[in-house]
Amino acid sequence: MYLKGDFQERGSVIEALRALQADGFRAADLDVFSAEPLELPHGVLDRRSHMSLTVVTGAVTLCLLTIGFVYFTQYNYPLTTGGMPIFSFWATGVIFYELTMLGGIVTTLACFLGESGILRRNRRMPVPVVTPGIISIRVRCREDDLDGASRCLDRAGANDISRIGEPL
Amino acid sequence: MAAVPKVIPYSQVRHDLWRPLAGVSRRYVAVVSLLLAITLWGLFCWGYQLHQGIGVAGIRRPVFWGFYLVNFVFWIGISHAGTLISAILRLTEAQWRKPVTRAAEAITVFALMIGGMFPIIHLGRAWIFYWLIPYPNSRLLWPNFRSPLLWDLTAISTYLTGSTIYLFLPLIPDVAQLADHATGLRRRLYRALSLGWTGSDREWHALERAMKLMAAMILAVAVSVHTVVAWDFSMAIAPMWHSTIFGPYFVVGAIFSGIAALLLVMSFIRRAMHLEAYLTPHHFDNLAKLLLLMSLLWLYFSFAENLTVWYGNEPKEMNVFGARTRGTFSVYFWTMVFCNFVVPFVLLGIKRLRTIRTATIASIAVLIGMWLERYIIIVPTLAVTRLGAVSGSYSPTWVEISITTATFAVMALLYLLFAKVFPIVSVWEFEPHVAPED
Repeated sequence: MYLKGDFQERGSVIEALRALQADGFRAADLDVFSAEPLELPHGVLDRRSHMSLTVVTGAVTLCLLTIGFVYFTQYNYPLTTGGMPIFSFWATGVIFYELTMLGGIVTTLACFLGESGILRRNRRMPVPVVTPGIISIRVRCREDDLDGASRCLDRAGANDISRIGEPL
Repeated sequence: MAAVPKVIPYSQVRHDLWRPLAGVSRRYVAVVSLLLAITLWGLFCWGYQLHQGIGVAGIRRPVFWGFYLVNFVFWIGISHAGTLISAILRLTEAQWRKPVTRAAEAITVFALMIGGMFPIIHLGRAWIFYWLIPYPNSRLLWPNFRSPLLWDLTAISTYLTGSTIYLFLPLIPDVAQLADHATGLRRRLYRALSLGWTGSDREWHALERAMKLMAAMILAVAVSVHTVVAWDFSMAIAPMWHSTIFGPYFVVGAIFSGIAALLLVMSFIRRAMHLEAYLTPHHFDNLAKLLLLMSLLWLYFSFAENLTVWYGNEPKEMNVFGARTRGTFSVYFWTMVFCNFVVPFVLLGIKRLRTIRTATIASIAVLIGMWLERYIIIVPTLAVTRLGAVSGSYSPTWVEISITTATFAVMALLYLLFAKVFPIVSVWEFEPHVAPED
């Protein structure tokens, strides 16, 4: 079951989130919906992200794959060079650099899709309609926790509190 | 007591920025039709060249690089408008960038698409373009990865991919909102592009992180792309090409022409879409100052490049230098200096003269000047050969002129279509703000 509370002030949203977390709700059960990005102070609904590390890993991986591929293609044709090296790292450095960046760029897109939850969205999960100027908090809770969640939202100054979605 | 400034509320912001998407005026249809006709003419000319052979172009021995390569370098330079400027302003958290970024990012994508076409047009036998792409084949033949042509291919592909993603990501929240208000085909398009965006804090966090990372990477790619384009020339041991400063010189030129293109486009959309409250004189003033700064930087690089050649007095280089500054190409050279330095310096350097109109005039001058700069760099070196007995000249044919003209029409056409489907100013990034006094 989901409970939704609508707010107009950012401060009230922060207060509600703090109260809900103090009441035992996990960050994973809470979502904030708004028409524009909402700056929340450190410690309030922190979302862990591995995007930077993953992007670096993606970039390095594609770089290594490119070096391997170019190395393979240079030696794939048995060209007689009289013992001279056929694979030139520096002359192909531009290719490695560009594909390293491409690896980073593509991984960023993948990370965005993954971390935003767009790719693994549960279609049955109710989503509040986002209206400009209104900030909604969605709380995932059991029937027993409903009163507690509702109280937290109400105390923080929610304009409208309503149940959305099916019982868990 | 001073009057309280009028604040434009969010609903008004959204209404104003969505308004240009609705309806199609007669003037819009007329302009789009005209641009489409020029584009089709350009395509016909390219088809004619494919059928008849590259001989219909004016490129002859020893001048093998003409308008097509000039256009290639020019459009790749223009593409630095967006992503580079947008990325710098985003990373430095410059608040005034907000109405400017999307217009700039769109320029990048379209200019890259156009610029990237020119090496293919220049190949002559465009249908064997795929030979540049490494794919397994029975003859064990692979592209030569040491060739600057392959460098260009990878650099431009990476930049185009990155720029498209960089344009697309901040578009998602806007199209998600548009999807709730649109109907029919538009609604389906916006729905598909919004990827099911709901406006949750997870999505906003992921978007902000992704945009910061993308901004940092796109900066590195943008600089490398134009450096690679410069290396196409400087890796050749040719007079006035084999220069160590060509990389940064080209990057500076690219940013310079990019800002000029952005100013011109902003001036156009401000007027055509009645966005006076969003693209304010403040934005134009900031960009005009940037343009002036880049003009001075460009002058510095041009001076350093030419002075060292002149002082070195190497005969082969002096021949090209002489042709540029006193000979056949001197008209283009001095027009370039006039357009790239004198016009912006006078119009933008004197505070009293710096207005939206003069910034637009200076931008047009800079675009002309930068196109001429590419011409001045490419053609004289090939026309004035190392062997005195062999000299060449270059005059473009109607095919090259038509294709060149068509590219400008394509750019304008793509931009007009984009601005009709997507808000040209990012709505979600815009907060309710004070209306400008003028």
